[in-house]
Amino acid sequence: MTLDDLKPLFEKAHFIRAFEHEIAALSEAGDVPGLVHLCLGAELFEVALCANLEGPGDQVTGSHRSHGLALAMGADPVAVAAEILGRTGGLSEGLGGTQHLLAPEVGFLTSNGIVGGQVPLAAGAALSAKTLKTGGIGVAVMGDGATNQGAVFETMNLAVALKLPLLFVIENNGLGQSTSAHYASGGISPMARARGFGLAASHVEGGDITGCLKTVDRLVSWVRETGSPALVEASVPRLSGHYHGDEQLYRSAADSQPDPLEQFEDTLLRAGATATECHTIKTGAHAAAKAAVTAANQQADTSDEAVARWATRLGGAA
Amino acid sequence: MTRMSIRDALNRAHQDLMAADDTIVVIGEDIAGGAGVKGGAELGGVFGVTRGLGAKFGEGRVIDTPISEASFIGMATGAAMTGLKPIVELMFSDFIGVAFDQILNQAAKARFLANGRFDLPLVIRTTMGAGDSSAAMHSQSLYGVLAQIPGLMVACPSTPADAAGLLKAAVGSPDPVVLFEHKGLYGHEGDVADDLPAVPLGKGRLVTEGESATVVALGAMRHAAEAAVTSLEARGISIDLIDPRTIVPLDLTLIANSVKKTGHLVVVDEGTDFGGFADAVISAVARDHFGALKAAPVAVTPPHTPIPYGRAGEHAWLPHADTITAAILALLDMQETA
Ligand SMILES: Cc1ncc(C[n+]2csc(CCOP(=O)(O)OP(=O)(O)O)c2C)c(N)n1
Repeated sequence: MTLDDLKPLFEKAHFIRAFEHEIAALSEAGDVPGLVHLCLGAELFEVALCANLEGPGDQVTGSHRSHGLALAMGADPVAVAAEILGRTGGLSEGLGGTQHLLAPEVGFLTSNGIVGGQVPLAAGAALSAKTLKTGGIGVAVMGDGATNQGAVFETMNLAVALKLPLLFVIENNGLGQSTSAHYASGGISPMARARGFGLAASHVEGGDITGCLKTVDRLVSWVRETGSPALVEASVPRLSGHYHGDEQLYRSAADSQPDPLEQFEDTLLRAGATATECHTIKTGAHAAAKAAVTAANQQADTSDEAVARWATRLGGAA
Repeated sequence: MTRMSIRDALNRAHQDLMAADDTIVVIGEDIAGGAGVKGGAELGGVFGVTRGLGAKFGEGRVIDTPISEASFIGMATGAAMTGLKPIVELMFSDFIGVAFDQILNQAAKARFLANGRFDLPLVIRTTMGAGDSSAAMHSQSLYGVLAQIPGLMVACPSTPADAAGLLKAAVGSPDPVVLFEHKGLYGHEGDVADDLPAVPLGKGRLVTEGESATVVALGAMRHAAEAAVTSLEARGISIDLIDPRTIVPLDLTLIANSVKKTGHLVVVDEGTDFGGFADAVISAVARDHFGALKAAPVAVTPPHTPIPYGRAGEHAWLPHADTITAAILALLDMQETA
């Protein structure tokens, strides 16, 4: 990876960070209808993951915490922001909202309100890719908490049994809402579980850009070439509350973790980038994110018209 | 009498019940909260209903679980068959999907299959309701779905006294009971008798008394209907407003006696416009008391769509007091602005 390869990723990761901050600010201003689960801390990993994927041949499904993934797969930021704001021009005209982002056109099949609900769907994308011989793969992204859902265990087994080109991705931030993975997850790591099912599995540190890129590339290539499932576990910090506004009284201040984006910047500096260059990239990304979210916030809320159209389509009682 | 919120009434009822009976255990996600996290404070459930229980009764009786609804609801069912009285908190009723076999096939049928040789004192508390932009998978009112399954009791409290009272009755019931608590009502206050008396399952309440029409509504819709009733008073229209409180068993006697008096029936239901609570009530009244009806009964429900996220969409989707007022006036063949 050369410096020139890394800079666009740095820019994208900062775009996502700034996008989330803009959403948080609008949430505080009362402009965001629902509770938002920000991806602060996972941006680097998500950018590295999606750099190895190409929609719509590859299809990613994600959890409730998927703003960053949708953006990293290339969904239009104004449309993503408008969806989170429940406005016209949103991915689904505001019908779905923050936890239900769907941009299959660019390879982000769906995010999900149900923990683990997205995982079998990615197996479906993998089955389509396999059957239709598109060369694509399915990617199921979830948190560590989701690994305790039956549907996730079943899908791990199914993917092995049916030999599906499916990459499982665990973003392990050590927490599910207020509960620690240490308490909730039966002692063994997601990787060890995956290996128990016969999946190839690796671990990456969410602050190590070169490690993330290398490992994701290796696993994605393996899934693509062999048509068999694999799993990657990324250790990422949760730099925010479970949702924006969560006071996190259950968490002590002492558990603060390093910020992957600062680690990314250190990597760039060590590779020869100047502080000014980094600064310029960041300010550009921040300005672009602000412009996108501001544009979305200028849109009207026409979700009443959108739902009225469905009311006549779904065949309920007149 | 003390004035308190539904959240506090439920909390007090848990405290009373658990202090009196040490076979009661509380099970769910984040209900004590902070499990395995160093240095933090108790969360007490995402809506704060179980706050303080962990500290008071200990982790042996206030059990935080992994995000594994199928297994912990099944575990609670098995425990209820073998000597414990579990109260499960299912964070949102929308999550019932992942645990549905354990509810639909296991909990609901075990007593029948044993021909009643054991009790199954399982209580599942869960939340419902739109109005806070929680969108399609965190807002559904799925009581109608569960009410269709023989073997389950289903209740939907709308006041603090009923919430505490129905929880007490549920814990004492030999059959599994699902309590649907409306998210928008946790802060709703009302007077509660100091001993938090049990409210028998299957007994509705006449909220207001009148002559012109019978309105049946529960959960948050009971309060919307109450506002509609108040607005109609000024026009000389008086309403029998019935909050059935439990859906299974349903107090059909209370409803039928009212319809025999008024001849007009409106059912308000946040659940579904097809085959749900409103349809069940209307069907039962039409079958047994067709002659008492002076006009076709009316169901006030959301449209047949998933729940939209955007504020305008969600507002349009939900029935409100003015929707209910308009429906009552239309039924009585009266103009909306007379
Ligand atoms: C089936 C189901 N159970 C519970 C929830 C409530 N809930 C939403 S997110 C969450 C924690 C998820 O933790 P994890 O999978 O680790 O993802 P993270 O939030 O850490 O990204 C919980 C319990 C849900 N949405 N769906």
